[in-house]
Amino acid sequence: MSVVISPTQTLRRSQLYRRHRQLGADFAQFGDSIAVDHYGDDEVSQARVLGLADLSTLPRIGFKGLGTPVWADSCGVKQPAQPNWATLQGDNTLVARLSSNELLLASNLTGSSKLIETLATATRAHRVYALPRGDSHSWLSLCGEQAANTLAKVCAIDFRAQYFTNLQIAQTSLAKINAVIVRTDIGDNLNYAIFSDSCSLEYLWDSLLDAMSEYRGRAIGLQALRDCATL
Amino acid sequence: MKVLICPLNGPRNISEFIYGGEYHPNPDHIEASSREWAEYVFFHRNVAGIVTEWWCHSASSYWFLAERNTLTDEILRTFNTDEIFNCRVEFSSRSNSEVPSG
Amino acid sequence: MADKTRLPQPLGMLIDRKQPITFSFENKTYSGYAGDTVASALAASNQWLLSRSFKYHRPRGVLTMAGQDANSMVQLHSDPNALADRVEITPDLEVMAQNYTGSLSRDRGARLGLLAKFLPVAFYYKAFFKPRGMWEKWAPLIRKKAGLGQINQNYQPEYFDKQYQFYDVAVIGAGPAGLCAALAAADAGAAVLLVDENAQLGGSLNYARSDLEGTQSRQMREALVARVEANVNIVAMTDATCNGWFADNWLPVIRAKRLYKVRAKQTIMCVGAIEQPAVFHNNDLPGVLLSSAALRLINLYAVRPGQSAVVLTGNNDGYTAVLDLVDAGVDVKLIVDLRDAPAYDAIAEHVCGLGIPVKIGHAVYAAQPDATGLHLGSVDVREIVSRGHCATRGEIIACDTLCMSVGYTPTYQLICQAGGQLSYDDDSAMFTLNQCPDNYYIAGSVNSLWTLEAVVADAERAAIIATNALGMSSRQIPDLIVDVQPQSPNFSWPIFAHPKGKEFVDFDEDLQIADIINATRDGYEHIQLVKRYSTCGMGPSQGRHSALTTARLVADATQRTVAQTGVTTARPPFSAEHLAHSAGRSFYPARRSNMHHRHLESGAQMLQAGAWYRPAFYGDAAARTQCINREVDNVRNNVGLVDVSTLGGIEVRGADAGEFLNRFYTFNFLKQPVGKARYALLTNEAGVIIDDGVACRFGEHHYYVTATTGGVDRVYQSMLKWNAQWRLDIDITNVTSAYAGVNIAGPRAREVLSKLVTDIDMSAVAFPYMCIREGSVAGIPARLIRVGFVGELGFEVHVPQYAGEALWDALIEAGQGQSIKPFGIEAQRVLRLEKGHIIIGQDTDAMSNPAELQMGWAVSKLKAFFVGSRTLKELGKIPLKRCLVGFVVDDPNAPIPLESHLVVDGDKMVGRVTSCNFSPTLKKPIGLAYVPPTHADAGSSFTIKSSGGSLVVAQVVDLPFYDAGNLRQEL
Repeated sequence: MSVVISPTQTLRRSQLYRRHRQLGADFAQFGDSIAVDHYGDDEVSQARVLGLADLSTLPRIGFKGLGTPVWADSCGVKQPAQPNWATLQGDNTLVARLSSNELLLASNLTGSSKLIETLATATRAHRVYALPRGDSHSWLSLCGEQAANTLAKVCAIDFRAQYFTNLQIAQTSLAKINAVIVRTDIGDNLNYAIFSDSCSLEYLWDSLLDAMSEYRGRAIGLQALRDCATL
Repeated sequence: MKVLICPLNGPRNISEFIYGGEYHPNPDHIEASSREWAEYVFFHRNVAGIVTEWWCHSASSYWFLAERNTLTDEILRTFNTDEIFNCRVEFSSRSNSEVPSG
Repeated sequence: MADKTRLPQPLGMLIDRKQPITFSFENKTYSGYAGDTVASALAASNQWLLSRSFKYHRPRGVLTMAGQDANSMVQLHSDPNALADRVEITPDLEVMAQNYTGSLSRDRGARLGLLAKFLPVAFYYKAFFKPRGMWEKWAPLIRKKAGLGQINQNYQPEYFDKQYQFYDVAVIGAGPAGLCAALAAADAGAAVLLVDENAQLGGSLNYARSDLEGTQSRQMREALVARVEANVNIVAMTDATCNGWFADNWLPVIRAKRLYKVRAKQTIMCVGAIEQPAVFHNNDLPGVLLSSAALRLINLYAVRPGQSAVVLTGNNDGYTAVLDLVDAGVDVKLIVDLRDAPAYDAIAEHVCGLGIPVKIGHAVYAAQPDATGLHLGSVDVREIVSRGHCATRGEIIACDTLCMSVGYTPTYQLICQAGGQLSYDDDSAMFTLNQCPDNYYIAGSVNSLWTLEAVVADAERAAIIATNALGMSSRQIPDLIVDVQPQSPNFSWPIFAHPKGKEFVDFDEDLQIADIINATRDGYEHIQLVKRYSTCGMGPSQGRHSALTTARLVADATQRTVAQTGVTTARPPFSAEHLAHSAGRSFYPARRSNMHHRHLESGAQMLQAGAWYRPAFYGDAAARTQCINREVDNVRNNVGLVDVSTLGGIEVRGADAGEFLNRFYTFNFLKQPVGKARYALLTNEAGVIIDDGVACRFGEHHYYVTATTGGVDRVYQSMLKWNAQWRLDIDITNVTSAYAGVNIAGPRAREVLSKLVTDIDMSAVAFPYMCIREGSVAGIPARLIRVGFVGELGFEVHVPQYAGEALWDALIEAGQGQSIKPFGIEAQRVLRLEKGHIIIGQDTDAMSNPAELQMGWAVSKLKAFFVGSRTLKELGKIPLKRCLVGFVVDDPNAPIPLESHLVVDGDKMVGRVTSCNFSPTLKKPIGLAYVPPTHADAGSSFTIKSSGGSLVVAQVVDLPFYDAGNLRQEL
């Protein structure tokens, strides 16, 4: 699907939509959103070296407040024991614990998460507050063997695989903007989910692609990530 | 670049933090004399020694407290705010003595 | 065919004789090999003169061969002051010398040297101090004479960047100590970074022998380097400079075009020692060089330092150098030993048996140039009669090379930056280092250890302490290492004053013995003052070769010990670095609203406010004023649309939400009805206005508070900080980026918006002024806030960020029949000024309180407490000092005042203008200004000192300027 898509509210597109089109993207639709399926051929091998994917239109939500851990537990959410760690649910929905009373949930790569849908409409307990993480935050996926080296050019935290464990979280400054970075390997491919200010997405995208150029990194579509998961 | 240990996020470059000024209990906003209040608001004590300071980890908007030796710039410890502030503070129109605040 | 300019292999370990390279120096072609530096390749072609000195334009050449001195500075195409003994030659590299007038070999500027007697230290301060203006007249000429290289003003920026790196142990310096420390730490499991500024690992093992045959160093180097290269725990960076030390072992390491920001848990400094020159008449002549420089030329580059040499030594290392010189075929004429009772080691004993004359207790009193005047021709060797004094007659020895071996200074810069203390031991005549900070160690010759055995043991000891601290080992820490060397390598006073001077203490700045002494006599006795007065140590080599001599001279002249005298503060950078290393790949965050591209497509002129891109106005930049005025008119007469996505948004939710806002803002919010908006003014504890916004109560326990674009982050943090203390039952979340927003304003705003709203009764009765609603606009879930904003009927519409562009498109389309037009922040400012609305930070400053701004109406007098309440109560007891008032300028010919223009009363400043604009609506300039309370009433007038000093009369008027009854916004 490479037709021009107008910014109607019924079809949600990323702030990077124009950049994706310039890169020759083919889009795929997920529910009421579109995301880049692929730009070119053989993005799986690109993903293994160094790839950057825009997942900003995929569902996510957050909850905060003293009642959150107990309420989420009652809703069947498997939560990490400690802040700054994440878990994957049975359907690969990511649950990131940002503090003792705050959770960030992000969908799996199919772009659908029953858990997120359920929680979004579930009756919330006392002292549980929903956070519009899908709107306030963008979501990029930086993957491949050079991902940690790339992050080292924009962030003062050691993300190398042997020091930053899978499902570990860093809330930090990335290219001088705040970001939540979660290591969520896809299959055996190193992968970092980057959640950051949605209004800074174009800036962050450009900054990361610039840092990636040294390692021949490129933008990749969602299909390549999915292929990595199943390989 | 100094390293500061955030109670939530662990050791980080100090550039990730915002300094929130020195913590010192505030005087009763009703009972304090004008001079006491003015000194509380405008005077800095510039202690040469150990002070308690407010720091905020910017990326997580997390406020905490740190004990720092201003002579050596050594940070002795960092801790959560609930060590000092452990109950709801009330303000009556008469007095708010006995409550810590900074 | 063997190259006769070079010594035979295996000498020349850095050059690849299979890869000849040609380059040019001073427009003449030279050849060398890959791996050669400019200086080594030129030396092989017998070109020793590299540049002219800074002040007297004296000929200068190779001194250290280690990239440590300013004598070797040359000009590359876009790189001034490049170090000829550090820069590798590349094909067709163009190199020029620096600091000469005419030609390098016949520099007319050298005549300045004849005037040296009349150019004493601080000559410029003294000569040009009076009369006033004198310096400005002479400075350009003097600067031209006394400059360094030329900046290429056509420089094209290149890609420089930065990268963070993390190690358990950073080892700086890869000589014997560094190699051993790195291996010991790595073997214990530590991730190690090993940094060396040279092209090859090994340090002194590459060129200095430790036994008679020279096999020990070579074998040790080969073994250690092989082990380092095979060790997966070690990352070795050569050609890399650790250029500073910052708190908690934060090390900037520069290699090529990248600045590595290294964080090490432990740091071991194995940075070695810097050989020092002797100080005597003409000690700066090309051909006079450090012994270590000669050894580097021979062993690293296979270059013979000269044909005939004299060795001046104050230690046994000079004798070791003789072995290399002899092996290289240099005719060593004489060994001049400063010591009167040398304690020889085995090598020195051996050299004494070679048949080379040795003069004990003698010095080189002076060097003399050859017939060209550009190179060493002979030395005047005399007996030392007392410290620093020689016999009246000596022996003239012809030679083209003088090797100096009189002592070392530990490379203290990075250690002192970390807080290490430098002291001076009178017995060894040497600076020593101690009191390093935690997690920081020194080892090897920087720690004043000289024999290889002691150096290795010291390095391993440091590594044990480091890995123990990391919890990777728990080994017994060996006792402090003691050297077995019989005598210090430092001769205590290798300084010989000469009646004609020219005994250079600091080559960079052409400072002689008398300059240092005179600085102390002029009253500048402290070493820091000596530096600033004489400029000693301020040149490119930062005192590496002058600090020791200066300390000795100043101590002597002021009757103090060298330890008491000390050295000047060593600050980063250790060596010169390109500004591009600091500037390269800096990050400048940019925020864009979801409608950003629609603004661009509509011809908006964008400006950056903080990180946000915002449309200033739409249309041709050349027609700025007309564009802004048209936008203003359209809002006043039809309907306009402005992007307000940048506006801050904070959700305050929970049982205590109202109580929290009551404490935080000045107004009362507890009784605010659900479905209503209320103006929110924020003061700090000093009663100063720091932000404002609108608090929208969407539920009993739910407020949505707006904040200014630039203020929201601070407001949010401040809210969190206060509630960390108050412990109210609420949640506070910054949702600024979650919402895109527009303000649709103008008499036809309702007409347009109603077309897109089906689930809210938009009538004036059902949705009155300062009310809020939730519903949908063009099918998008939206929050609607009916505010005055620009003083017309208007609605703020907030939608999820992703739908901003869809909302924009829908409104523009729906408003076609009503002449809807977008407007930018310039028009917004004019419109808001016409309504007398203040801009926080522009119309307020660090002292502004609500009473001054006549905003007492926004401050509740009934509340028990809010953040600024007590201070405002105190301020209420004293008279106002100033008032912010609205003014108009009625004179159509007067220049329009600008912000910050002064309000004057005679020749006194009594206030200032904070905002002023031509009002298209009122057809005259309107503005806000701080004036004395005596001038604050409507009808008063005051004087503004406008552009060019012209005085403009302004009339105080009641605010707002436009629609005083506020009828239009409540339509």
